Formats: sequence, structure tokens, C-alpha cells
Amino acid sequence: MTKKPGFIERIAESIGIIPNLHKDRDLDLPHLTQTTDLTNFPPPEQWDDWVEYEAKAHPRREKKHYQIVPTTCFNCESACGLTAFIDKETGQVRKFEGNPYHPASRGRNCAKGPATINQITDPDRILYPLKRKGKRGSGEWERVSWDSVLDDIAGRIRKALQEGRNNEIAYHVGRPGHEGYMDRILQAWNVDGHNSHTNICSSGARFGYAIWYGYDRPSPDHTNAKVILLISAHLESGHYFNPHAQRIIEAKMKGAKLMVMDPRLSNTASMSDYWMPSYPGSEAAVLLAMAKIILDEGLYNRAYMENWVNWQEYLEHMHPGVPVTFENYIEKLKETYAEYTPEYAYEESGVRPEMIRETARLIGEAGEQFATHNWRSAGSGNLGGWAVARTLHFLNVLTGSVGTKGGTMPSEWNKFKPSFFAKPPAQKFWNELHFPNEYPLAFFEMSFLLPHFLKEGRGKMDVYFSRVFNPVWTYPDGFSWIEAFSDESKFGLHAALTPTWSETAFFADYVLPMGLASERHDINSYETHSGKWIAFRQPVLREAARRNGKPVTFTYEANPGEVWEEDEFWIELSWRIDPDGSLGIKQHFISPYRPGEKVTIDEYYQYIFERVPGLPEAAQKQGMNPLDYMKKYGAFEIEPHCYHQNLNEVKPEVLEGSVVDPKTQVITKGGKPVGIMVKGKAVEGFPTPSRKNEFFSKTMIDWGWPEYALPTYVKSHIHPETLDKSKGEYVLVPTFRLPTLIHSRSGNAKWLYEISNRNPVWMHPQDAQKFGLKTGDLVKMNTDIGYFVDKVWVTEGMKPGVVACSHHLGRWRRPEDKIGNRWATNTVAIKNDGQGGWKMSTISGIKPFASADKDSSRIFWSDGGVHQNITFPVHPDPISGMHCWHQRVRIEKAGPEDAYGDIFVDTNKSMEVYREWLKMTRPAPGPGGLRRPLWFKRALRPVDELYYLDNVNENGSLKEGVGQ
Amino acid sequence: MKYGFIIDNRKCIGCHACTTACKSEHDVPVGVNRTWVKQVEKGEFPHTRRLFSVMRCNHCTDAPCVDICPVEALYIREDGIVDFDKERCIACKSCMQACPYDALYIDPETHTAAKCNYCAHRVDIGLEPACVNVCPEHAIISGDMDNPESEIAILLGTQQVKVRKPEKGTVPNLFYIDADDASLNPSLTTRPQDTLWGRQEGGVGHFAKAAEKMAFSNPDVVSALMEVNGQSTTADEVTANGKARSVDLLIGKTPRRVYDTPNKGILWGWEVSGYVWTKAIATGAILVPFVAWLMGAMGPNLEGQYWSLGLGIFFLAATGALLVKDLDQPTRFVYVLLRPQWKSWLPRGGYAITVFGGLMALSLVLLYLGQTMALVQWLTAAFAVLVAVYTAFLFAQAKGRDFWQSPTLALHMLVHSLMAGGSAFALVNLITGAEAGWTQFLNTFLMVSLGANLAILVSELATPHPTHDTHRVVDMIVRGVYRNRFWLGTVLIGNLIPLALLFVSGGSPVMMAAAALMILAGIYITEHIWVEAPQRISLS
Ligand code: SF4
Ligand code: SF4
Ligand code: SF4
Repeated sequence: MTKKPGFIERIAESIGIIPNLHKDRDLDLPHLTQTTDLTNFPPPEQWDDWVEYEAKAHPRREKKHYQIVPTTCFNCESACGLTAFIDKETGQVRKFEGNPYHPASRGRNCAKGPATINQITDPDRILYPLKRKGKRGSGEWERVSWDSVLDDIAGRIRKALQEGRNNEIAYHVGRPGHEGYMDRILQAWNVDGHNSHTNICSSGARFGYAIWYGYDRPSPDHTNAKVILLISAHLESGHYFNPHAQRIIEAKMKGAKLMVMDPRLSNTASMSDYWMPSYPGSEAAVLLAMAKIILDEGLYNRAYMENWVNWQEYLEHMHPGVPVTFENYIEKLKETYAEYTPEYAYEESGVRPEMIRETARLIGEAGEQFATHNWRSAGSGNLGGWAVARTLHFLNVLTGSVGTKGGTMPSEWNKFKPSFFAKPPAQKFWNELHFPNEYPLAFFEMSFLLPHFLKEGRGKMDVYFSRVFNPVWTYPDGFSWIEAFSDESKFGLHAALTPTWSETAFFADYVLPMGLASERHDINSYETHSGKWIAFRQPVLREAARRNGKPVTFTYEANPGEVWEEDEFWIELSWRIDPDGSLGIKQHFISPYRPGEKVTIDEYYQYIFERVPGLPEAAQKQGMNPLDYMKKYGAFEIEPHCYHQNLNEVKPEVLEGSVVDPKTQVITKGGKPVGIMVKGKAVEGFPTPSRKNEFFSKTMIDWGWPEYALPTYVKSHIHPETLDKSKGEYVLVPTFRLPTLIHSRSGNAKWLYEISNRNPVWMHPQDAQKFGLKTGDLVKMNTDIGYFVDKVWVTEGMKPGVVACSHHLGRWRRPEDKIGNRWATNTVAIKNDGQGGWKMSTISGIKPFASADKDSSRIFWSDGGVHQNITFPVHPDPISGMHCWHQRVRIEKAGPEDAYGDIFVDTNKSMEVYREWLKMTRPAPGPGGLRRPLWFKRALRPVDELYYLDNVNENGSLKEGVGQ
Repeated sequence: MKYGFIIDNRKCIGCHACTTACKSEHDVPVGVNRTWVKQVEKGEFPHTRRLFSVMRCNHCTDAPCVDICPVEALYIREDGIVDFDKERCIACKSCMQACPYDALYIDPETHTAAKCNYCAHRVDIGLEPACVNVCPEHAIISGDMDNPESEIAILLGTQQVKVRKPEKGTVPNLFYIDADDASLNPSLTTRPQDTLWGRQEGGVGHFAKAAEKMAFSNPDVVSALMEVNGQSTTADEVTANGKARSVDLLIGKTPRRVYDTPNKGILWGWEVSGYVWTKAIATGAILVPFVAWLMGAMGPNLEGQYWSLGLGIFFLAATGALLVKDLDQPTRFVYVLLRPQWKSWLPRGGYAITVFGGLMALSLVLLYLGQTMALVQWLTAAFAVLVAVYTAFLFAQAKGRDFWQSPTLALHMLVHSLMAGGSAFALVNLITGAEAGWTQFLNTFLMVSLGANLAILVSELATPHPTHDTHRVVDMIVRGVYRNRFWLGTVLIGNLIPLALLFVSGGSPVMMAAAALMILAGIYITEHIWVEAPQRISLS
């Protein structure tokens, strides 16, 4: 393709007055295809020595030899496939592309995938273990050895275990993944110490689903849907953004209609056929209005409902005397929901009645091909937010689109569950700091109340691990976290396991660098579509070293600096906690292949992969073992579709010795329901007491919430009735995410931050006019415990009467925190008056800085946004335990004394709000002295005996002799 | 074989994956983009939509960037890809004026121009471009449009498509399905300093060094620079929309851009207006005596003739120096002469300057030897005219700038040259003294050329403007950010006052010199406005 030089140039080049630019321009690599067609990925046979031209040298032909090693992305939850292109010359990753063999992401990624390389090369990343010098939070650190870290922490844990203080140990995780791995570790230690971020994220929605059918997440089969209804923003964020977005658009191109309920114009709403800008918290009213239309117009799926809804139980309990017939059930349904007219829904939500009618009919007509999702947003914003998922699933039940092609499955049908070697038994401890009695139905740990519980003297944390977890920044009421972290009587030792600096790591005793996406192991399996798959996250440089015949024993040997990976950290730590095996821990870390020896990471995964259905055979075909197959391809599809799993026949070994309840047809074994007779067949059904979709929830009645026995609309804590508009009170929607960022984990990605670095408050022109505000003006947002000052973004993309502000932005560091995400952080001054008053002000925005990466001197943005979450009080939903994010805010124009980024919080007020919400609970015990329904799932489930309050000792352990 | 792109807006979700994948493939520095996802919000609640449009090089069939590139750093490959060779690039930034789509930028790392090259290094071995591969929605479709079986050819055959600015005659090979004019037509929205999720505070690309400075010295440098370089565009918004409408804009009534690639600033700055100015003096110094000679009027005496050539040579050297200084790759300036791309007016001009310089040197020798050669005189004058006006043809090749497409631009430059030459002699005469005939000639000559200049000004600004962008530039000049500079600098100081002075001077050397100084200042101010103003128009 080289141009021939002209006459003058040829002479000038040949006599050497100018360099010859016609050298090395000739194409000398083969073309991958026969025609002008292009293919999207190098063939796998060439992955060990893939040669391509370096883009930066082009059109000079500079050949680069790469080793291509797959792994998975660690930015959002989806764990899309990535392939690392490792430059054979430098031994470093040059770039990440997609993995065409990943069944969910199919070779494609969102903006955060390629940006992984920024995180790897971030000049501010932590490369060595650090121990604090001086007071906790003082910003002074010294480098220490991993050996000393492991010994110190192991000694402390050992002592706690020996003294029965198992409940003083906790592992608190932000980004989970790590399927099953941590459960295994904690159960080996006999510690009820799993704490997650789920109650600030999704447990509202989870509760709404679980109360219906025992499963806690939806898995829409978007590809095959005719109507897709999202109360979420899956074209830009959420579980599972990229895989879902691919399939939603695919369906749309095939003619599916996309409906989106969201008070702000998300990118998703913008792509929809029907944007329903509903008032926050009113979604359930709209959904019930749709249900009413479907019922009234006879658009429901009779066959499905007759078999798969516990309507008989409902009629018997709620309408004794009425003959138990399906017709009567429908009649009662119509009566029950008669008040939910589209006009009523309009009053509540602002969604036009005509649109509700039109969409409801389309949904009814879509029938089994109706895919839905509800994540974060409404479910996580409102008191009673779980009712949104519950009423949404109601639509799936009405249309019979549960588990169908083009419908919505429960997540668990798509999720692969690995089997482990030497699996430890369930722990015999119940930690009430995570699952307190006030919240017997809470769907996950009450993680965001930890500082409040500690302040109340409910317990302490002797050894506290935070992993990729940043509550100071991400959680509500971050100043209460700072107060608790700063108090060594509450947190004895805080070890932050993190690849990058965070506001929480500033308040740790140890900051322990852990690998990024391509620097550690993990397996992933998520409900991204109708199939079931498993993917392997692996440290790519370690794998390259192995392929090159220079294997390493530990991942940190291949990683930059002394960056460890969690897997090996936990094995080493466990080994050191129980060096002689006397605590019974060590036995779970002995290799299943080499008796008596410590298990290696390869063996751990080998054991799992050998047991993945179909994988050994697929590997064999390529002459490989399952582990090597996964190392090579990074992913495996277990099943292409997982529809109708409720119709799976009960296995004969399970049926043996079971009994069928003649009235309910429920099959039980040993008192536990295991299936149901449907049309004369013993099938598995759903994991609920009735083995059906529980339209009627006896559980709700039993646990003191009879008013919520049926799917209903719960008025939110920010319902217009609770706001005083004359005082400038509004609802703030603070939950939404951007396609380019991920919570507080992406502050180390320059290509993401140059696109988005600040978070103004969205406001409709009418509202802006009311306050005399225009785009760029400062606004003071007063919450119940303080305020923040942000800029206004006036937009027609916001529902009038509602304001919104995105999460992710407003990252900070203090002057004492010299480095840390400097691409993303404002420098702030924090002042505490010692009485619970906290003031934060911005000293400077984001600034260019000198580093090994020249781009750091080219930072052209300085506005780093405002940290809104820290000004929010906790709002635990009394049922689901979800933090209800939406805020009542009093809006005012900022005064002369207010500066951009100013923040104030009074933590005494935080405690007050916490207590108010605590009063709304209806604590355990429930029926039979239970502290939680036995049929409810629980993270890191302890032994069943601990569900009975009487069986528990003071320290949370199981009473001697119980259940033996 | 002809590669092209389709951007399918039915599918694009505005996720920016293409942006980061491209950055990763090419290691594109922070601040500049080969591809970006412009976002525009449109419509009143609840009928609001956010429109996503992937913007990048169109791989035009008639690519003005290729035509203007002086050294063939940009070229069209046989497969239709508009590729570039950064090792040839002298970073004159002409391509960035020529491309009507703002597809190019200066890479702050290599200090050369860069843009999307269709991942030619991948295509050559049969791989899809990086952005195509990453796109979750397969919203970017690449392929050989000449192959009827290809996905792109089939889509082109079955779907309605649009291109950006078809009126530019560039014949783009990037097509949009389901695109909205509010996205494709940049003049329907203005470029914001605030985007929804960000705010530009520092220079990028060519101006990235300003951002660097901020880290180590004073942040004001950047804001000042942004101001000077027109990167803070509030004024632009006001000019474009008038006060009232720009308030509307802030509250979102009209479509507005909510994301855009950062503003690259004004890339042809004072060096360019400076060299147009020095060039006017250099050529004028030769042309004015020549005109006098032609008309049989009295010309300069011997000393004046030395001055003529001296000024010519000195200011031509200054012109060359400024031309080189303007390059981001100054050491490669010889490429203009040694790797010439003959369609571009830059090497043509470069050779003209060289020949003109040689002729002046020859004339100096002849003058010293007391010889006259009519041929040399005629040739020198002819080249003086060429050197004086070629920049107008170069500007006309800058297809991105509508205002420079004015047919009178060459005349405008020629008249400036004559005015500058006349003024230079008026100043020389103050020092050396001169015969009355020559002074009288100069006085009249200057008055006539000022008159001609005013006529050209009126025709450039007051005749109906062919395009919206031209109209906006004229607005900026006569009513907007440049109004003070224009009315005071160009009109009063540069034309009317000197005209009045010359009218009453009666040949007074002092008054003539005063008028000359004002004329020279006026020319500089005018060229500064003419060079800078059109560059404020956002092209994409
Ligand atoms: S990657 Fe695809 S969907 Fe995302 S912005 Fe680019 S073109 Fe649009
Ligand atoms: S003129 Fe612009 S869009 Fe067209 S080929 Fe050149 S750089 Fe690309
Ligand atoms: S074709 Fe290549 S250079 Fe062009 S935008 Fe796509 S990734 Fe960037």
C-alpha cells in the first residue's frame, strides 16, 4: 500500500537529506480470510504466538508477537470475557479485547472492558502491603512484608476463635463474585462473618421475587421476547449490562417493544418505545393498573395460573366459604385490584392512563414472551420498594411468562453451582450484627447499619476485612462509618483488600493490594440470558509464564509489585490460623490430589472444572484436561437454554420415602417440601412452601405483615403526601449509574474519567425556574441529616417535581492522602467538631499531575463532582432490610457562603433517623420461635438449628447438645 | 474494493465502548479522540430523547484533507481507507482546517496529526477494526461496499442512510441509519464547555501542553489560554443565538449537545495571521515600485530600491520563520519542498516563496551591479503576486471553513499586500526622505488601495452569505466577539482614519507615516480576525 515517492522526494531520500520513509511499509503477514471480509478474532490455534502489526507504528510494519490469554472483566457484575494481549517481548499486557468464546458477552464489551488496561497501569495503584503509622486515618503508611501481615492477622483470628469470639470476625465485600470461595473459607473458620453490599443494592428487588417463588433474581430471556419491560436501565448499567443490552437490542431489531419506567431519561429510556416517567415509588401502582387491565380484558394465561399459582390456598385463607374454583379466584382478583384503575395509577405516577392501557394490552398479547427486569432504581429507592418486584413478577405470572422462551426465568436456573472438595459444614454461629432480630425477613445482611449497631454497643469487630468495598464513600451516612472506623474499640483491626485506593482504605490498619481483573482467579456464572455458562477469571501473566515453561508457584510472583490475589491470601491465612490443624480448619485446605499437602490454586479449580457437566468431554475433544481448557478458552457453555425448570421431574431417589399432601399436592420429605404433583406428574416446582408462585403469602401473615399477604402497592417514604412542596421539599433520585463508570472502582481508569467526571443535579426547567436556577448554578440540597452543594443541570429529560443525581462521582482524598485515584479525586478538607458535626469542603478539583503515564499531565477536567451519599441517613426497609435510597430533600439556591462541593452532616441526626426507621420493624421471633423463615435463602447459611432463637448462646454460637 | 462504515442508530446505546476500544488499540492520548459518541438531547418532556451519534473520519472519496496535505501524509489507499503516515506529517494543521467534520487532531505525544484510519493495520491482516469488535450492539458495521454479499452492501441497499454535510462534496463513506439532523448537523446545536458528565478546563491535543503547565505553575494560564484560543465558548453561544436564546439553551428548550469530544481550540493562531502580514509587506515592497514603474510614475530612488529588496527579503524570511514556527514538527519543514504533494497550495506556495526569494536575491545582485533586466523584474513581480495571494487558495482548500471560501479572498490579500507595501515605503520615506513625485504617488496609491479594500470588505461581509456557517462568522465579526476589534481595528484604525489622514496629508511624510502605521496595524488585526473567527465554528 506504499505510495511511490515522487521525483524530488526520491532524489532527496536517496542522497539522504531526508529519511527514507518508504522502507518497512510492505505487507508481509498473511490475511486471515480469503476475501475482503474481515473476521473479528485471531484463530485460537494462534493464540500462543499471535502476530499483528503495532497500531502505533502504522504504516510502518512493526510486528508484535502476542500471547492471547483469556480472563474476565472485574468492572461491573457481568464478568464479560476479556482477552489479554501479552507482548512477548516486554512480558506486559498491551491491551484487552473481548473473548469470542464467552457465551454471555460474545466477544463484545462496554467501555469499561478495554479500560481495564488503565487500571493495570494506573500510576496511583497500590503495589505493596501497607501498614498504618500513627493514628488510624492519619494518612501515614509504611511498607511491610506479606509475611508479617499474614502472621499478625492469623494470630489475631486464631485467638478470637479460641476464645469463642467468632462473631468478631467479618469479611465485608463490595463486589462479590468469588462464587462460593469465601463461603468455604468462612465456614472452615466456623465464622458467620459474611457481610455484603446487597442491602444497599438489590435486596429490595430480591425480596419481592423471593416472596413469590423462592428465587431472588429475575433472568429475562430478552432475545426471544415480544415485549420487554424494564424498571431499570439495562442499556447502560446493572446486572448484566453488556450481555443484556446486546439481547434487548437484538429483540428490538426483531420487532419487540421496549418499555421503560424511570423518572429520568436514562439512555435506556431514550431507546425505548414507551418511556413511562413515573413518580419514584409509584411503580407498583402502575404495574397493578396493568395487571387490572390484563385481568379485566381476559388477557391472562389461564393454563399457567391454574397450575402454578397458590390460588387455592389464597381462597381458603382469605375467602373462606367461597368455593375454591379458578373462576372465583379470578373474580376475587378483579375485586382486589379494582381500585387500581389507570386513572388512579396516573394520579400516583404521572404516567398517562392511555399509555398504561396500551402497554398493558401489548404485555397481555406478548403472553409468554414477556421479559422483565427491575434492578436497583425503584426496588432500591423506596420504603416498600420490594413491592415493585413483587407486582412486576405478578405480570409475569399473569401472562404465564415465568421460565418460558422469551419470558423471565429465575436466576438460579442459569447459574452454575460449583462443587468443592473437603467442603466445610455450615457454621454454628449466628451473627446478629449481620442478621439482627429486628429484621427477620431481611434478604441480606444489614450491612449499612453496622456502624449504628456498633455505636449502640451490640458488639465489636476484632478482625474486619473490607474487600473491594468502600462504605465510607458508597454507603449512606459515611461519616458514621468514619466515626466507627476511627474508634479502635469498635474495629480492632481493619484490613482493606483492594486493588486501588478508596476512601475506606484511608481508614484501615492494613491496605493489602489485591489483583485486578487479569491478576487473580475466580469463576463466574451469571444469569445473562437463557443459557448457563461458566467463565474463568485468571491471572494472565501467570498463565503466560506457565505456557512459556516458567511456571510460578504464587500469583504474586507474576503480578506487578507484590500484588497478591485473594484466593491464595485466604489459603495462606487459613493455614496460619491453624498451623497444627487443632482448630479443624487446616483439613479444608489439604489438596484433594496430594494427601497431606497444602492445596494449590490450580488444584482448587481443577477439582471444580472436572465436575462441570460437559466440560471434561469438551476438553477431551481437544485433547486437553478441563483446567487447561478453561485456561485456554476462559469460558464454557453448559447449557444453551434453561427454560421450564419447574417442570423437571423429581428425581426418583428424592421421591423415595416422600409423601404427597392430598389437598395441596405438595410432595414433602422429612417435613421439607421437595416437589409438587402437577397433572399427575411429580415435578420440582418452585422452592416455596407451596412449590408454586405464592400470590398469597402465608409467610407475610405469619411474620406479622398481614396487610402484605398479596402483591400490593406500598406508598414510599417519599410519597408526595410526605413532602411539603411549599418548603421546597422534593424527592431526590440518587441511585442511577453511568455506562462508563462503576461505583468507586473506576476512579483509576483515565479513559472513563475523561468522558465522565462530575454529577450535577438534574432538574426540569419548571422546577429550575421555581428556584431561579439555570444550568451551572449552585444548589443546596438539604437532606434529613445535612446538605450538599452541587451544580444544576436543567433538562427536559427529568420528570417535573423530581430531581436526580448520579452515583459514582464526587470522589475525594484529603491533603494527607497524597496519592490515590488522582484522575478522579477532588482534594477536600474534612472538619469534625467532635459533637457529630462534620464539614467537608473542596480545596481543589482534579489536577494534572506528573507520573510515568504522560496522560496524567494532560488531564483537562477539574470538576470531580460532589459526594452525595455521605449526606444521606440510613433508611432500612422494615421488611426487606433494603436501604431505601431516595431522599427527601429541601432544595434551595446556594447562598453566598456556600461553595461548590460543600457538605455538612450531623451524625447525631443520623442516629435519630436510624432509630425512627428501626421503630417500624416487627422483630422476631416468628412462628415456632424462629428468627427467620426456614425456607428463606440466607447468605452463608448456618445450621438450621440456629434459626430457633432458643438454641443460641450469648456469643451467637449454637447451644451445646442442640440438634446433635 | 472500498471499505466503508455504517453507524446504525437504531442500535447504538451511547455506551462509549467504541471510544475506549479505539483508545486502547491506538494508545490515543487523553483529551483527543479518533472516534467519539456525540450526544444531543432533544424534545420537550416527556417526548425527550437523547440521540447518540458516533463521529469519526468519514473516509471520504473526495477527501479535502488529502488534497490539502502538503506532504502526502494523508492518502487514500486502494481499498478506500483514508490513511495517514505520521512520519511524513509536518503538523501544519491544514488537514484540520480542511476536514469539514473535525475528524483530525494533533497527537500530543507524537506532535503530528492523527485520526481514525479504519484500523488499517488490522484490516491488512483481515481483522475487523477495534471499535467494530467491541460494540455490544453491532451498531458499527464495517466492510467492503463493493462486495454485494457483504453485510454493509446489503444494508446500504435496503436501508435509508444519511451522511454528514453532503453539500461539502466530500462523498463520505460513513453512513448513518436512522440519524437525526440535530446530531449530524453541528450548526443546530452549539458546543458546550459543560457536558452532562464533564467540563473541559484545559487544552487538549495541540494545546495539551497548557494542561501540563497547570500542574506545575498557575492554573490561570489555562483559563487565559482557553479564552485566547476561543475554547470558552459562552461568547460563541451568545453570538450564535443572541442573549435570550442562549438562556433558553441553558434550560434545555432547544436541542443541545450533552456530550462532545473536547474542544481542540483554535489551531491556526497568531503565527498564521502573522505570516500573512509579513508576507503582505514582503510582496508589497516589491509590487508597489513595480506598479509605479508600470504606470510610468516616479518610483523610489536607488536607496529606495535597496529598501524595496531589503524589506522584501527580510519580511519573506520572517514569513518563512513564522511558517516553520507554526509547525508542530518544525524540523520537518523541508518536507514541504522535498516531499511535495502538488495539489496542495502549501508546497506550491513554498516553491513560490523560494523562487520569489531567489529572484529578489538575483535582483539585489543586479542592482548592485547596476544592471536592469526586464524579465527578472517581471518575474519577480509575478511571483510577488503569487506569494501574496496563494494563501487565499490554501484557505480555499480548507473546506471546513466556509468563510474562507469567499471568491474575493485572493483579491483581499493582494490589496493588503499593496497597502502593506505602500505603507512600508511611507515609513521608509520618513527615515530616508524621498522625492515628491514618489511620495505623491504613494499617497494616492494608498488612498486608492484603501478604497478598494473597503469595497472588498463590504462585499465580503455584506453580500448575502452562501452558508449558515459563513453567516455565523460574519455575525461574530460585526456583532459578536470580534466587533470591537473589527470596528475599531479594521474599519477605523485600519481604513477610515488613514484614509482621512492621507486625504489631508498633502504629502506630509509624518502624516503619511502615521497613516502607514495604522494601515499596518489594521491589516494585522483584520488577518487575525479572518484567520481566527472561522475556526470558532464547531464542525462536528
Ligand atoms: S460501542 Fe456501539 S453501542 Fe456503544 S456507543 Fe459505540 S456504536 Fe454505540
Ligand atoms: S476530510 Fe475528514 S472525514 Fe473526510 S477523509 Fe479527511 S479526515 Fe476523514
Ligand atoms: S476504525 Fe480503528 S481507528 Fe477508526 S475509530 Fe474504529 S478503532 Fe478507531
